[in-house]
Amino acid sequence: MPAEQQNRIRVTEYLDLDVENEKWFCNRCGHELGGARENYKRGCLLYDRDPREIHPPLVSSEFNFSPDPLWVRIVEFYCPSCGVQMETEYLPPGHPLTWDIEIDLDRLKQRLKTGEFKIRKQRLEVSE
Amino acid sequence: MPIPTLAEKLQWLKPVPATPYERECAAKLAQGDYEIGAQITNDILDEAMEIFVRSSRSYFGVSGDSMVAIFTAGGDLINASCGTYLHAIIQPIVIKFIQKYYAENPGIFDGDIWYTNDALYGGIHNPDQVALMPVFHKGKLLAWASAALHTTETGAIEPGGMPVSAKSRFEEGLNMPPIKIGEKFKIRNDFLEMYSVYGLRAPAMFISDLRARCTTADRVRVRLIELVEKRGEVYLIGLLRKMQDTAEIGARKKIKDLPDGKFRTVVFNDAIGYTPALVRSCYLTLIKDGGRLIFNFEGTSPENPSSYNVHTQAVVGHIANFMYEYIFHDLPICSSTFSAIDFEFPEGIILNPDKMAATSCCVYIGMQCRCATHNSFAKMSFSSASLWRQVAAAPGSQHSAQICAGLSQWKLAISDVLSFSLNTQGQGGRASTDGMDSYGFAWCAFGRAPDSEQVESELPLSVMLSQHWRDSCGHGIHRGGSGAVQEWMIHKVPNLVSLCMGNGSKVPLGQPLFGGYASAPIPGITVKKNDLLKQMKEGNSELTMDLREMIEKPTVHGDWKYELVARTPKVFEEGDLLFGFSGGGPGYGDPLERDPETVMEDLKNHIISDWTAVNIYKIVYGAERRKVDTEKTKQQRQEERRSRLARGKSYDEFEKDWNKKSPPKEALLYYGTWPDAKSTGPVFRP
Repeated sequence: MPAEQQNRIRVTEYLDLDVENEKWFCNRCGHELGGARENYKRGCLLYDRDPREIHPPLVSSEFNFSPDPLWVRIVEFYCPSCGVQMETEYLPPGHPLTWDIEIDLDRLKQRLKTGEFKIRKQRLEVSE
Repeated sequence: MPIPTLAEKLQWLKPVPATPYERECAAKLAQGDYEIGAQITNDILDEAMEIFVRSSRSYFGVSGDSMVAIFTAGGDLINASCGTYLHAIIQPIVIKFIQKYYAENPGIFDGDIWYTNDALYGGIHNPDQVALMPVFHKGKLLAWASAALHTTETGAIEPGGMPVSAKSRFEEGLNMPPIKIGEKFKIRNDFLEMYSVYGLRAPAMFISDLRARCTTADRVRVRLIELVEKRGEVYLIGLLRKMQDTAEIGARKKIKDLPDGKFRTVVFNDAIGYTPALVRSCYLTLIKDGGRLIFNFEGTSPENPSSYNVHTQAVVGHIANFMYEYIFHDLPICSSTFSAIDFEFPEGIILNPDKMAATSCCVYIGMQCRCATHNSFAKMSFSSASLWRQVAAAPGSQHSAQICAGLSQWKLAISDVLSFSLNTQGQGGRASTDGMDSYGFAWCAFGRAPDSEQVESELPLSVMLSQHWRDSCGHGIHRGGSGAVQEWMIHKVPNLVSLCMGNGSKVPLGQPLFGGYASAPIPGITVKKNDLLKQMKEGNSELTMDLREMIEKPTVHGDWKYELVARTPKVFEEGDLLFGFSGGGPGYGDPLERDPETVMEDLKNHIISDWTAVNIYKIVYGAERRKVDTEKTKQQRQEERRSRLARGKSYDEFEKDWNKKSPPKEALLYYGTWPDAKSTGPVFRP
């Protein structure tokens, strides 16, 4: 792992946080996804997926083991560089996208600075 | 009327501060006393749970959907055997209510048996009933013992204890605030008579379960008295104090390990009663602020005139299920673990309805709070070295809760739920591995699928198939656990009434995690006037008992119906078929990263279909020997990644089209205003 990546914190399976520079990065390819005071989804590519393409109907009926595409869609979020699927949300069509991760960067920096937290193997460890 | 207010309930969830006497007793514990003592409480509770399971009659009781617990004299939970954690954190509300309002009249005495099933006063919903006994020694109150269990009958407007069509609490049958039902270690006969008329549909089950709760609570009481006789009062008081302190220290340490911030999840439900309807069943903002965790539910849909509302403490109960299964799994089940956790409920939302609201089907909405907690917690804790391994997608929570009522083949009145399709739900995909197949009941991790032969001997049914159903799980690097299906044939009676509760027919429940997909929806399926028995008699070799084969190339002929899973009571005749499904768990991570050989294992085990292996996981393999072509698979997956880059839009570009869309108007009957889910006016209830 490149040295600059070692100090990034893994916030999800695919999302890394560079606390010092306040930036989001793709964990798989290292592509920058924007400022960490913003929703990382703003740095992704988005796709409105018909849920029947993932959960195909098994019988011809209104109730058929498949989601109703008028009621729910799958919003897929991709890394714009490597194409990994970073996140999915099952939302009614038109429902606002969720700002799911809003880390208090100031407090995190402070906890790292005071030594309460240290970054080890890309994770936050509490100093005993 | 002293119905507890929201403020009182939230205050009573918090432990009573330690008294100087408790501190003094705790200080006197010798080395090893705590460890041995804590284990003794486990043993007492496990013995009592065994008694509970063996003496209960309802299938929830037999399956272990129950809790036995010990509390301090002040009413705080010390330890429990579960069963379900649903009741764990919230039962102190009931004890503290009794102590505040009934200490003088009728008074609290040795040998009392207290009882309640009213969610307005601190329970989950009215089929969940609890017996509580004070533990006195030499005239001094030292502790409380309780036994809680879901019984599938309440004398409501529909059989089964969870009337789907109830519009207010007045249609839910028995809703009993905390009341003393026994004195001097005996249940009062006048109470038993009053109680039993609410169980006329299934008197044997109804009364047996009541007695099972009482006898279980009493066994805990007896064992605690034996412990005091052997080790003294100071030991017990000190032990209970130290268990609270230890649990609180452990919980606070885990919370401290988390980064501060706000972590949001939104989840939806697709039915209100028997009506397909979209609601924003939980909009959770989980706030980590210093040493505190705050669950804020601003933005959740308004209450509605059905039984799909949740009283606030029942939301906490659902969250406790997650907390003890994943985060606090190594701590005593103790009120003090929630000392640093607070809850904020706006008035009038589906999670904080009016006191006249029906809430008997609250669990369908409450479960969505648990599902939302999974995702918010995952996003808060994945960065933590100590907690990331506990990250998991929500459990599969869609299911058919099929109620059967009528006369059994033994001419006994019955009203019970077929709990196989509850207790076999799939676990959500985890950070380090797949979710477990049929891991348990999302409401009760330790619930057991009932024995099919026992079901057949007690209920007028034959179990025709039990299996994992293909593609029920959510896909991902770590897929969700598979759900299961059972097919029941009405047998040895001319007819039977059946209705079904449930949700998840139009919208998958529970969001997936980190790029995975949710699990498949479930329909309600019945087949009336079919030829299955005839074909079995004739020995038709083409007959299959595999679900996918049955529905894709039907060999059983009859009146197949696919409906919303929640269905009104109907009369079924001998030979008619009912299908019950439990949902799979949502997936974790991008499916393109799943190990191809693991996908092949899933195929071999009938967990997924060939269609899924090819179209979702993009595996290339030979049709006959199912050997993966590694190079071509790599190419297929790379091609799919390129397709994503080609079809994906920037956030702003995506929102331009997306924001113009909305679901059909008829879907939003109970949603509130679109899209922010504000109340559209008062709710009128009969």
